[in-house]
Amino acid sequence: MSDLAIEASQLVKKFPAKPGTGDKPSEGGSAPPPKRKLFPFGKKEPNAMFTAVDGVDLQIQRGEIFGLLGPNGAGKSTTIRMLCTLLEPTSGTARVNGFDVVRQANDVRRSLGTVLAGERSIYWKLSGRENLEYFAALYHIPPAIAKKRVEELLERMEIKDRANELVEKYSTGMRQRIAIAKALLARPPILLLDEPTLGLDPQAARNLRELIAQLKREGHTILLTTHYMEEADQLSDRIGIIDTGKVIALDTPEGLKRRIDQQEIIRLEVIGWQEYIGDKLRALSEVSNLVARKQGEADLWEVNMQSNNSRAVLPKLVENIGQNGTRLVNMNIVKPSLEDVFIHLTGKALRD
Amino acid sequence: MEATLSPQSLGKPGLASDLRAFWAIVNREWTIFKRYPSWIIALLIWPLIFPMMYILTARALSGVDGSGMTVFTQTTGATNYIGYIVIGTTVWMWQNIVLWDVGFALRNEQMRGTLESNWLSPTWRFSYLLGHTGPQIITMTTFILITAVEFGLIFGVRLNGNPWLALLIMLASIPAIYGLGFAFASIVITAKEAHTFVFLVRGLVMIFCGITFPVSLLPGWMQSIAEWMPQTYMIHGMRSAAFANASFADLLPDLKALLLFGAFWLTLGYLLFNWMERRARQTGAIGQY
Repeated sequence: MSDLAIEASQLVKKFPAKPGTGDKPSEGGSAPPPKRKLFPFGKKEPNAMFTAVDGVDLQIQRGEIFGLLGPNGAGKSTTIRMLCTLLEPTSGTARVNGFDVVRQANDVRRSLGTVLAGERSIYWKLSGRENLEYFAALYHIPPAIAKKRVEELLERMEIKDRANELVEKYSTGMRQRIAIAKALLARPPILLLDEPTLGLDPQAARNLRELIAQLKREGHTILLTTHYMEEADQLSDRIGIIDTGKVIALDTPEGLKRRIDQQEIIRLEVIGWQEYIGDKLRALSEVSNLVARKQGEADLWEVNMQSNNSRAVLPKLVENIGQNGTRLVNMNIVKPSLEDVFIHLTGKALRD
Repeated sequence: MEATLSPQSLGKPGLASDLRAFWAIVNREWTIFKRYPSWIIALLIWPLIFPMMYILTARALSGVDGSGMTVFTQTTGATNYIGYIVIGTTVWMWQNIVLWDVGFALRNEQMRGTLESNWLSPTWRFSYLLGHTGPQIITMTTFILITAVEFGLIFGVRLNGNPWLALLIMLASIPAIYGLGFAFASIVITAKEAHTFVFLVRGLVMIFCGITFPVSLLPGWMQSIAEWMPQTYMIHGMRSAAFANASFADLLPDLKALLLFGAFWLTLGYLLFNWMERRARQTGAIGQY
């Protein structure tokens, strides 16, 4: 058996584009305007295509947690949907547990436990126990084994006391745990978790991260997509950063951060931030990758930038910010995080 | 560790595991159906309300004393206009409910978000539609029985024929009615919306299949269209079996037509389902709502 749990080679997925949103021509210049036909009959013009995943290569080792990190719309979910056979690649190949995702789709499905769409992936009008019994039958688990596993998983997810209540009465965290229990029913060697902590409160998210780490210790290979960089940093053995359908960096979290360790990260908190100040600061030679984000309801902004000489740039920052009612309330020079790596690579924030 | 994380340890799936999965889908549908208790009211009231509209119109036209009934009897060969109407409207309601219920079964799952998690399992995917049909047939049979009981008790409608032959016509109608539902279910997943098609089909059944009048009243071209609709044979066969004391031999043309239409619609439904499933893998339609 191959050491690779998941292997993708030059995976591409294209969808028909909405008008005006198709791929741009790959070589310079704008596309010529479409010729207007005198008679609108005959062969249909091919639709413009939007490339959601653009030549992704992945090799995920057995027993590792691999984080796929990227902003919304980067191609994470499309990649995961191709790996779990919901989508057929436009080109390229992928193997999961040694099985081809197109030609051996049922073997791939038997090898995978998948959490997509989180709490929406289970039946709210069934109880937690009924949901698990139902999905156990869909995964062809013999009834005697299914009964035992359902009880074990209810116990493990700490839902046994409320297992007979309808899922609609559960909290979001409990529903997410049932969705994960569902993925574990067939004891699949590989788990695909798409944004597993999305919408959870901090405590529930922390508990779920502990569970994911424990599943790795039990031998599962886990492919995790997230746009929470702390989560990817904390859990992943390796991380692939994906943007506009391409894997733009792939390394361990430490390896990724080392790429910008010559850079210092300056983090400011500013009240009344104006975009023109950002433009002025970007013009400074010592500043790169400046990103400003509004914090909560008040007019408080977090401004991050990278610099190779913070000592030289600090006086200029103070001078530029203290104008026209803009006020600097906090300033730190911090170690690079994965988000800083992402900004360094793409020029934009992960949660833009 | 590897031994505990091996789906192969469960053995290769076979007919028994596919049947268990199918039964689980039936059981799931039935359990969810029971948790919306308003269906009891719908089952009691709808069999009366819809036919009443036509029965009262017929009563107004024939006169309260029934003096206008002679013409009706001459045209239709039926003496019991209430039973005549109830059979037509019940077939219409059956098809209508199947179009909404089976036709939108996958779409409702898609909007809830559960379709993807079903699709991710190694179960034969057509089971999801077949499994939905099981409880639907049970509720529709109950609906038809309640119709018979209510009109028997309230309006004194009595069968003048062989109830087993009426049941046979009903059974022979199932493939055509549900095959049409399967075809719809597949179109709805792709098109996301099919209300217009449902309105069109039930409108066609209402006008062309003679739910309250004999098809012979229609112009020739409309009768030709009616011949291509299985509901025409369901209504004719049920009326003949229930009220005209028709024999098995009399019903044979209707039965043959129904079985042929059934084979056609079931095959088309299955082919459209496979087409939709392939297309969904290319477009990602299963996860879109």
